[in-house]
Amino acid sequence: MPVLQARGVTKTVGSARAARSLLVGVDLDVQAGEVVAVLGRSGSGKSTLLHLLGGLDRPDTGRIIVAGHELTAQRARALARTRLRHVGFVFQSFHLIEELSGAENVLVPARLPGAPRGGEKRGRSLIDGLGLSEIAGRRPHELSGGEQQRLAIARALVNDPELVLADEPTGNLDQENGAIVLSLLRSLGSRAVVIVTHEPEAAAIADRVLHLREGRLHLAPAAGGLRLRETA
Amino acid sequence: MLTAALVVSDSLGRGFDRGVRAADLPDIIVRFDPAPRGRVARRVAALPDVAGFSLRQEATGVFIESGPHSSGSASVEIVGPGRRGYAIVGGRDLTGRPGQVLIERGLATSWGIPLGGTVELADLGAQRVVGFTQSPDDVSYPLAVPRLYLSRTALQARFGTQLDPRVNVAQIWLRDPRNLDEVLVQARATSYGLHGLRFVTRSGVRVLIDQAAGIVIDLLVALSVIALVSAVVMLAASARAEVQRRLRAIGVRRAVGAPRGHLAAAQGLEALLAAVPAATLGVVAGALATYSPTSRLLTLLNEPPPGTGLVGPLLAVWLAAIAIPVLAAAWPAWRAAGRPAVELLAGAELPRRRARASTWGPRAGLGLLGARLAGARRVRLVTTATALGMSCAFILLMLALASALSALETDPRALGKRYQLTAGLPSSEVAHIRQIPGVQAVAPRYEVRAVDSFSLHETIDVIAYPGDHTVFEAPALLSGTRISSPRQAEVGAGLADALGLVPGSTLAIELPSGTELRLRVSGIVGSFDHDGRVAYVPAAALLAADPSASEVLAIRVRPGADVAAVSAALGPVAAPASGAIARGVPLVDTLRSILRAVAIVDGLVCLYALLQTCALTVQERRRTIAVLQALGAAGPAIARLLAGAVLALVVPAAVLGVLLERLVLGPILAKLAAGYAALSLTAGAPEVGAVLGGLALASAAAVAWVAAQSTRGAVVKGLAA
Amino acid sequence: MRRVTRREALIELTAAGALLAGCGSGAPVTDSGSTVVSTWTDAMGTGNLERSSGEALLARTELGPAREGAAILTTLAHVTDAHVLDASSPARVPFLDRLGEPFQSTFRPQETLTAQVLAGAVRAIRGLRPDAVIQGGDLIDNAQSNELTWALEAIRGGAVRPASGRLGYYGVQLAENPDPFYYRPDLDAPQHLGLLSRAVRRFISPGLPTPVYPVLGDHDILVAGELAPTDVTRGLAVGEHALWELPRGLELPPGLSLTAGGSPDGPPVPVLVDQFLVQALAGPKVRVPADPARRQLSAHEVVAELRAAARLPADSGLLDYAVDVGRSVRLIVVDLARRAGGSGGRVHPGQADWLSAELDNAGKRWVIVVSHHPLVSSEGGEQLLGVLDGHPRVIAAIAGHIHRNEIIPRPSPAGGYWMITTASLIDYPQQARAIRVLETAGGGVALEMWMLDHVFGGDLGQISRELAYLDAQGGRPRRFSGDRLDRNVTLYRAPARG
Repeated sequence: MPVLQARGVTKTVGSARAARSLLVGVDLDVQAGEVVAVLGRSGSGKSTLLHLLGGLDRPDTGRIIVAGHELTAQRARALARTRLRHVGFVFQSFHLIEELSGAENVLVPARLPGAPRGGEKRGRSLIDGLGLSEIAGRRPHELSGGEQQRLAIARALVNDPELVLADEPTGNLDQENGAIVLSLLRSLGSRAVVIVTHEPEAAAIADRVLHLREGRLHLAPAAGGLRLRETA
Repeated sequence: MLTAALVVSDSLGRGFDRGVRAADLPDIIVRFDPAPRGRVARRVAALPDVAGFSLRQEATGVFIESGPHSSGSASVEIVGPGRRGYAIVGGRDLTGRPGQVLIERGLATSWGIPLGGTVELADLGAQRVVGFTQSPDDVSYPLAVPRLYLSRTALQARFGTQLDPRVNVAQIWLRDPRNLDEVLVQARATSYGLHGLRFVTRSGVRVLIDQAAGIVIDLLVALSVIALVSAVVMLAASARAEVQRRLRAIGVRRAVGAPRGHLAAAQGLEALLAAVPAATLGVVAGALATYSPTSRLLTLLNEPPPGTGLVGPLLAVWLAAIAIPVLAAAWPAWRAAGRPAVELLAGAELPRRRARASTWGPRAGLGLLGARLAGARRVRLVTTATALGMSCAFILLMLALASALSALETDPRALGKRYQLTAGLPSSEVAHIRQIPGVQAVAPRYEVRAVDSFSLHETIDVIAYPGDHTVFEAPALLSGTRISSPRQAEVGAGLADALGLVPGSTLAIELPSGTELRLRVSGIVGSFDHDGRVAYVPAAALLAADPSASEVLAIRVRPGADVAAVSAALGPVAAPASGAIARGVPLVDTLRSILRAVAIVDGLVCLYALLQTCALTVQERRRTIAVLQALGAAGPAIARLLAGAVLALVVPAAVLGVLLERLVLGPILAKLAAGYAALSLTAGAPEVGAVLGGLALASAAAVAWVAAQSTRGAVVKGLAA
Repeated sequence: MRRVTRREALIELTAAGALLAGCGSGAPVTDSGSTVVSTWTDAMGTGNLERSSGEALLARTELGPAREGAAILTTLAHVTDAHVLDASSPARVPFLDRLGEPFQSTFRPQETLTAQVLAGAVRAIRGLRPDAVIQGGDLIDNAQSNELTWALEAIRGGAVRPASGRLGYYGVQLAENPDPFYYRPDLDAPQHLGLLSRAVRRFISPGLPTPVYPVLGDHDILVAGELAPTDVTRGLAVGEHALWELPRGLELPPGLSLTAGGSPDGPPVPVLVDQFLVQALAGPKVRVPADPARRQLSAHEVVAELRAAARLPADSGLLDYAVDVGRSVRLIVVDLARRAGGSGGRVHPGQADWLSAELDNAGKRWVIVVSHHPLVSSEGGEQLLGVLDGHPRVIAAIAGHIHRNEIIPRPSPAGGYWMITTASLIDYPQQARAIRVLETAGGGVALEMWMLDHVFGGDLGQISRELAYLDAQGGRPRRFSGDRLDRNVTLYRAPARG
């Protein structure tokens, strides 16, 4: 059974005349240990899809099952619990909490009510393992983007989730730091990873690259889009 | 709040002056035993600085009846030609035709007498009410006796020579009231032969009126002033917080080259758009909440309501309520915009300080994180906590005020009075009354309303006992000693303040008998009676100077004995000893409704501050909360976080509030209102408990509401914020 | 040109020295006191006097048409009712004041400053440089020796110390006196701290270098202007017991005075007075320092002293005399004071004939007749007026006593004359009158007259004026300043017809 299973997911944003169907029927299965990259143009609905997959938003129709929990059937509190235990998020703009040190940020999910045991310990070993020990005592604004994103990844992993969802994780990073982050995401072992990006470098590390076009996922890239990028 | 404060302070604080203007109240009112009109007129006309005068005859204890109501103690004034000294607030003045009567508005309201209605007067029969009057020379019915006015011309037409031609009241208007003292000295020097002479001046009238509600009015006015200041602080704080929230946006606009002034103006404009409807709503609500109870109180005090006179000040408040947030928004924006754009973009609200060593420990919950989040905005936390603390202090003050008020009203001991009953009996009955079971002590008590002989506009309530007065009245001794010789006096601190008396000074009392009684001040005492303008003197000295001093028997009941039983044994001559403001239940009721209105407004302000703070915290932490939600935090967790933030605010605010009330506001207010006596306005345990409980409840409500609000929407929206 | 004597020069020097040293008075006096230049009015009626513009002379032509003045015949001043008094004297009866009419003159708030006001009037008159000054009577208040000494010193010039007893103030206005019917300057409004001790300090009067012709008033020889001194009053005056309070139960019914028959002008009944005083002395008394200088003078002594001071022929009977001022004006002074008591005037036997004779002696001189009491209100006054009515050279009959400025024409077949009274120095408006006699074109005569405000250095004079103005029994409510036509006027009189 795949870690993530989505069937016939649709989502319309806006209302009345401004309504726009972003997703018209997305099906996606991601297995444990698989890294899937979703590419698409800006505004194609990539981030929306990711949010739906992580239970941050609800689809209009369709079903999403994460680690055996059907998100689309869960109420808010259960959904939060699923997120806490089974999903790790990595955001383009890191979203670290300003008032907390790096280490504290990493430990936030472990300290939330309902978090699985061993979070603290896992957090510390993650910090050590990711080479963040030296900067862990500092506050986010004192850190570089790469450092912040590494902390964010550690935070995403602290509750040992089955699914990691990364939304443009390298979007705010230079090439070198981007590479470090991507290799980190690549090395998450048995976890299922979905990376939403428009950068080919990110796609390069994926086991599978999907393109979101006209509300559906496709295996092949669009006729011109990627080529244009490649020549750029 | 600002409006409520304004309505109360403007209406009450300036009510007397308004009343004086409306009624053309004379500068001096002289009362004396009936004397020939011509003789009095000649003497008054000879005084310097007299712009005009009118002479009246005042009959007291007249029986009147209207519909189901009646009173045997009405005061009927027979007015002649000349200035009136009352305002016609309904109908018209007397024309001199028989059968017309003017009645005081308070009486009309209380008895429901319409214009054109009738009042039956003893000896005169039914008289038609042609107008309502208001004159602030005394409080109104039911606080005082009912007052009516008849035309002398009309009575003359009816009774001819049978009408008593003498007068007993002279009202004098001065050209330049600064010469009041000179005029009074001359009036006194030429008053020989007039008996029972009593001068009352405008300021004396003010004291008399203030006695009825003085402490309360002073308290309310003082309270309103403090409220006004804190309202300003609160307005400024919230506007400033708004700018802090926008710092990043300001940074962006700065970065793209927006001029500094433009940014400040934009911020100000935004505040303006928000402030106009808010200020309008607030002004209208505040005015509506307090105007009606205040007006009721003013009617009882024979003072006109401010009416359109309030429009100007309200407009000013409205403008201030707009200008203050606008400025408070524009100024920090102006300052912020002066900082490097990079700093602003980094989200800095203040120049960064070094991260504190203390960390969010392993076992610390979300509450502490919330507190840390709140604590991160230190300036805001301090201002909001201050504002909230002030609000708490107010509510505490209001509660303390209410309990002080009811104590003053009902408990003679609050006034230093130790007797519980008085009896209108001659002193020869002392031995007889002492036999009544339960009576611990009884003695004649003399009370004379006099003036200071050197400052004739200062009234003095002279109280005398033949023996040790402390058996019956023991106002706290503030300095000096108790009376120990027949030529000594204890004076109230109010009087000491007014006349600059210290122990050892000479107190000169000009008695109605025309005699000057001089006594040495032995001590200063705290007393509420007559605004502290009292003097305790030995009865022998008083009676030697004025044998006609009014006398009652003061009766102290044995501890544990039943006051009611003693009262019953005495029969109808007994009356309970009254408090400083015990001129009637209606007054206290009205005052309570004012207090209630002010307290409600204040409570709402408190709740608003809390909600505002929570909402502000959530709003600017929306992303943080969304992140936490994304990381798996559910509603209760968010609520805990908010609770932490609120506690970080409420706890210091509560501490501040209690301390502020106990150490600053209470004492200041007590001093402002009743500097002449030790009025305790510090809140006790029940009040503090009530306020803390209320605060906790309000916090819980605020947290619940804001948490519900924040978790309702999709998390993604928060992340995008 | 008049020569300044050595003595006068010395006094001037002393006065100037005193001013420079700031002794007894403060600001230097620059004011002339002439109400033509400026005066004191209360335009708003607030009880506060303020400097205002002067009053020009208005023409009064009831007795003759207005004509150009051809020559000044003489310049005179009329200063009357100074009432210089010893406010510390136990012989005063200030407690009667509160009974009102007719006793209101027994106490006045400004009564400690009478000598200073007289000195102030003297200064104003000096500025006028008159040929002669008429001192119109009631120079003193209570027939006391020390009062007369102070008043004559103030007129003559030199140091005046208006104090008795131990040279302090021992009267009813002391702050210690708990009697609110008296104005006590240390306590009551308008408060003047230390006024009482300043009032009894020595001061320098500039004095008058011109002849000062005295007129005898009731207060000059009678206690309170009413009572001829008795043994009781004489003892009281120099003794150490003062009466400050109206004895309880001794209230006089309105209308009844201490004089028999209820007439304020009638002769007092000594028995009644003595009885009253004995009764009062049995009541509460105040102890004050005794002082023999407070001796009450007899009428003889007063007349003798006044004559001596004015260098008039010695005579201790009536103070009747005639003097010529310059070549064209004769003053005839008539003494109407009652020796036995009573404040009103009374014509003494033989005075009509004497007056007639003096008028005849006047020849072509214009005659001004002076008395303290107005002739119209004096007993037998009509007889004297009849004499004056028949004489064509009489131009004015001047008096004081009623404390009011007043000018009434009295037409007569012989041409008529002006009956003039001048305000007192003790009650508001505290003014003297300047009188200039002019010959007009065509042989008529004109009297230019204007009031003089007293000008005493420092503030004591002004305090007195203000207190006098405030006094509810004083000259303000009783309109003593008169009308505009009673003050600064030119009175025209047609040429003599005889």
